[in-house]
Amino acid sequence: MIAMTLRPVLRFARLPILAGALALGAHMLADPLVAQEALPGSQMARQSLRPYWHVFAAYAIVIVLIGGWAFSIARRLRSLEERLVD
Amino acid sequence: MTGIRRGAVALTLLGLAGLVALFWLSFFWVSTEVTQGVVQRIFYVHVPAAWTAFLAIGISALCSAVYLWLRDERLDRAALAAAEGGLVFATIVLTTGPLWGKIAWGTYWTWEPRLTLTLLLWFIFAGYFMVRNATEDPDKGKRFAAVVAIVGALDIPFIHVSVLWFRSLHPQPVVAKVEGPTLPGDMLATLFFGLGTFTLLFFGLFLFRYAVEGLRTRAELRTRTSAA
Repeated sequence: MIAMTLRPVLRFARLPILAGALALGAHMLADPLVAQEALPGSQMARQSLRPYWHVFAAYAIVIVLIGGWAFSIARRLRSLEERLVD
Repeated sequence: MTGIRRGAVALTLLGLAGLVALFWLSFFWVSTEVTQGVVQRIFYVHVPAAWTAFLAIGISALCSAVYLWLRDERLDRAALAAAEGGLVFATIVLTTGPLWGKIAWGTYWTWEPRLTLTLLLWFIFAGYFMVRNATEDPDKGKRFAAVVAIVGALDIPFIHVSVLWFRSLHPQPVVAKVEGPTLPGDMLATLFFGLGTFTLLFFGLFLFRYAVEGLRTRAELRTRTSAA
């Protein structure tokens, strides 16, 4: 029932969400390009999109490893609690 | 819910909220470093992870030393919980560092002193879990693992001074200096926020992990009682 009610709202909101995500992405990508214009030629080569992937990968590793540890602890905790209840 | 569990929930939730805020600060608030550019932002997770790994391993070694003296099972449980956290955060250090190094130094890995000693620490603590489970007598395994934890922690001061004693690709300390930190204010604030966040997360998950070991002991005790 709730899903039926929300479906048209979500369909309507899909476009603004997509546009917002694209605008945010464009903003994040555009900043270093603007900065390049002010940099001397020797430093321009250093500015590319490659460092962004390294930064995103590093932050993703943090989420995966801490989340993985938390998930593993939760799984062991639940299994032991069930064993003690039985 | 026990006191430990309540503390664990509170610290973990605070830590998770801090992690979201840290990501926002790192990506949208702190200024970009002039020489290295955007890749320097890895600093705000790399250094806090290193600090937390050393804290966890220090706690594990301390609990292990006191366990060898008093033979209190609670200390062994705490040492085990901290060692697991230490290994997780050391893995973060050893994976985020090369990603930064590839852009800053042009290589993912080089056998320079700090990197080599940190990898050695990781292997020692991976060995901690192997030694623990390698003996038939669990008490003997706990004692051997305690010795490994103490030996592993002796590596930490060497990791810290390696950049001062040897020629190293790693930069000299910018915060832990006699004359005070040389980082700009916003970078220093983000770094300290990261240190606080990772410490809270570690202590929250450490308490949960400690609770798991407590339950495991109870479950094993019950199994032994019902078998007898």
